[in-house]
Amino acid sequence: MKTAFHTLMLLLLLAGSGLVQAQQARSLIPERTLDIVQDSGYLNVGMYRDFPPYSYEVDGEPKGVDADLGRLIAEGLGVEFRPYWITPDESLGDDLRNHIWKGHYLAKTRIADIMMRVPYDSTFKYMRDSTGEMINEQVVFFGPYQQERWQIAFDRDRLDGVETVAVFQYHPIGVEVDTLPATYLTSAFGGRLRNQVQHYRNVGEAFGAMEQGEIAGVMGMRAEIEYQLEAHADDGFTKAGNGFPGMSKQVWDVGLAVRHTHRALGYAIAAIVDRMVRSGEMAELYASHGLSYSRPGYYDDILGPEESEE
Amino acid sequence: MRSNSFGKQFAASALALAVSLGAHAVTDEDILNDQDTVDDIVSYGMGVQGQRFSPMKALNTDNVKFLQPAWAFSFGGEKQRGQESQPLIKDGVMYVTASYSRAYAVDARTGEEIWQYDARLPDGIMPCCDVVNRGGALYDDLFIFGTLDAKLVALNKDTGKVVWIKKVADYQAGYSMTAAPLIVKGKLITGVSGGEFGIVGKVEARDPKTGDLLWMRPTVEGHMGYVYKDGKEIENGISGGEAGKTWPGDMWKTGGAATWLGGTYDPDTDSLFFGTGNPAPWNSHLRPGDNLFSSSRVAIDPDDGSIKWHFQTTPNDGWDYDGVNELISFDYEENGKTVKAAATADRNGFFYVLNRENGEFIRGFPFVDKITWAEGLNDDGSPIYNTENGRPGNPADADGEKGETVVAFPAFLGGKNWMPMAYSQDTGLFYVPSNEWSMDIWNEPVNYKKGAAYLGAGFTIKPANDEFIGVLRAMDPKTGEEVWRYNNPAPLWGGVLATAGNLVFTGTPEGYLKAFDAKTGEELYKFNTGTGVVGTPVTWEMDGDQYVSIATGWGGAVPLWGGEVAKVVKDFNQGGTVWTFRLPSDRVASN
Repeated sequence: MKTAFHTLMLLLLLAGSGLVQAQQARSLIPERTLDIVQDSGYLNVGMYRDFPPYSYEVDGEPKGVDADLGRLIAEGLGVEFRPYWITPDESLGDDLRNHIWKGHYLAKTRIADIMMRVPYDSTFKYMRDSTGEMINEQVVFFGPYQQERWQIAFDRDRLDGVETVAVFQYHPIGVEVDTLPATYLTSAFGGRLRNQVQHYRNVGEAFGAMEQGEIAGVMGMRAEIEYQLEAHADDGFTKAGNGFPGMSKQVWDVGLAVRHTHRALGYAIAAIVDRMVRSGEMAELYASHGLSYSRPGYYDDILGPEESEE
Repeated sequence: MRSNSFGKQFAASALALAVSLGAHAVTDEDILNDQDTVDDIVSYGMGVQGQRFSPMKALNTDNVKFLQPAWAFSFGGEKQRGQESQPLIKDGVMYVTASYSRAYAVDARTGEEIWQYDARLPDGIMPCCDVVNRGGALYDDLFIFGTLDAKLVALNKDTGKVVWIKKVADYQAGYSMTAAPLIVKGKLITGVSGGEFGIVGKVEARDPKTGDLLWMRPTVEGHMGYVYKDGKEIENGISGGEAGKTWPGDMWKTGGAATWLGGTYDPDTDSLFFGTGNPAPWNSHLRPGDNLFSSSRVAIDPDDGSIKWHFQTTPNDGWDYDGVNELISFDYEENGKTVKAAATADRNGFFYVLNRENGEFIRGFPFVDKITWAEGLNDDGSPIYNTENGRPGNPADADGEKGETVVAFPAFLGGKNWMPMAYSQDTGLFYVPSNEWSMDIWNEPVNYKKGAAYLGAGFTIKPANDEFIGVLRAMDPKTGEEVWRYNNPAPLWGGVLATAGNLVFTGTPEGYLKAFDAKTGEELYKFNTGTGVVGTPVTWEMDGDQYVSIATGWGGAVPLWGGEVAKVVKDFNQGGTVWTFRLPSDRVASN
């Protein structure tokens, strides 16, 4: 069966020069340049399905901080916001291929104009395969709008605090299956936490298990954790202040992506997003969802270090 | 049913009526005797043991050069991609499935369509590994097959009308169905396909008439099996006795081991044999232990789903070698005694001969030219790991740098993949469609998944030789000797058929149906079908003539994951046609 690393290899394969050209020649993807988007009067905004607090549906209504940002972007372009729901595949490379530059092989004409919550990382952007080909050359990454990070929440009835993750040698902790927290907690420190790690389909289910007293903590992305803490406001759960020693990636910038032939659309949207970050509107948007906001590290070189909020 | 014009529907039903006059119900007896009866093919594997051996001799090494196309039937539509189906034949009707979960009944004399059924797949469905279907099952007046959205569909075999549809698993959770179902003792037996989203493999038995569950057996240690009586679910023992024996923490809960290639059945020992996929998560360093019953062959009691024995080919699988390949029952004589054996050619490059009564290892040997992940097999059949540089490193140790590259033979697509081999009762040889390729694996610390940082690994598949990747091999299961080999430029991805006419048939991605001398490997026949062949050939008798059929249409996993192999296969064109060949009766005497 396919595993996560095959996905990357598929990307390597498809980005191989000869094949890509062959695929492009046969491409069925509709052209959706800036002019065409504005003439059509709508913007297909790609967002992950069932992914609170970023993007999810309630009674058919798109909710979440990414959905709201998508609305503001569409408004800025003077067009209608249309949600385009993405079922996540096994890695970002798959999602970009399926929804931005090539289309999934089962639905080749279904494509998003832009994709939200795409990590903005120059190493990933310029990553090359073993033959020296750029893996992501079909995609333009732009408009970093937030910095995301890992976070642990814990049950105050069970733990006094989480000074270090070592406490989870003795107490069970929940993670979403096949994520970096799952890998980190099952491999760090020679695997000493491994037997305490409980796997769930998502962070929401892990919080459900903590409510049932099955686990003492949950590790996930900060916004996911904050959203669940709000939903479990009366359960005595709180954020931990520990670090994650030895973890490969602790913070990362999140932005948007468009197909490389649609750069002008990216520029127009980047201007909207940049204005929101600089003016503080982006921080307000996050605050209105009850979420902490960290400015993307991208802006540190331009605007100087961000003042700490916590 | 596909929406047809009124006229066409009328014509189709009139034809169906005409055919049904000669049509009979398929019985358990028909299925159990399938390997001996030449006028029908009512099981995947041409017999439940899966030998794919026909006793027919009319077509043989002397006259195969006269084999001629009789008709070709297009699956139609804009949908093509890989055609991996094995046709079934009953009462002059061919039942065949196609990509995108389509099924057809075709007049086997003329190639005219009797009915077509297109499963309505949900929008946004994302099966991992192409949109193939490997075939259906016939039972009573039903034709039953699995769909990409993990449903079972039972159609009236004479009309194509839906009798029942059952959801087997949630496609949104990562489940799918591509294998042909198996009918054993009046039960419909199926496995399930799935990616890496924390699924757990299982084997299920249903009532073929209604689709109602009879029993369910999970293929990961720690999960409860059930039997169903009068609509009640009754516990029937935990797979492996208890959780946590060969898995750390709670990883058994999301352990993988998908049974995605279906199974075979041995009436002698009354056992179902199912192979199981790789364990999850993919990083083997996170799950020290054997991780049962991943990458194994499991013998299951068809009456209640109990596990009788298991044999694990790749414990703590870190190469995605899976263990799903078919286990074929066969008998052989040794020291005047009949040995009840079963054989399998694993993705990991080793060929295993087991005692099918108890799962004990008899012998094993490489069937590919080079294996690097293991140095050999121990006396119990377990691998002697290459501890030097055989196992991919732990991405969690990579520390921000691209890790060292490990080269592993064979590649994860396997020394042999899904494509079924054949066993000739005449020559006593297995005919194994295999591939010679390696993979480079390196840690890729900069990766992302669903908006979050992630640790991955990079993979590239490389051909082991410049001249060829595919090798059709004749392997002696008693000695491990490679009796002959045929090297093919592109990777072999289609099944094999052996006949008592001393012939071995298979298809190639270059588009040929080929026949070889079963004893010498001499190529005796080839016919260009116009698209790559990844289907499985069958042969049968009708109106006194011997026929050969094969579904053609390039696709499957190779063009999706091929790495550097893409250079070899990128110009092959897609298709979707079942070709049928006949030996003219005036040529039979020429032997």
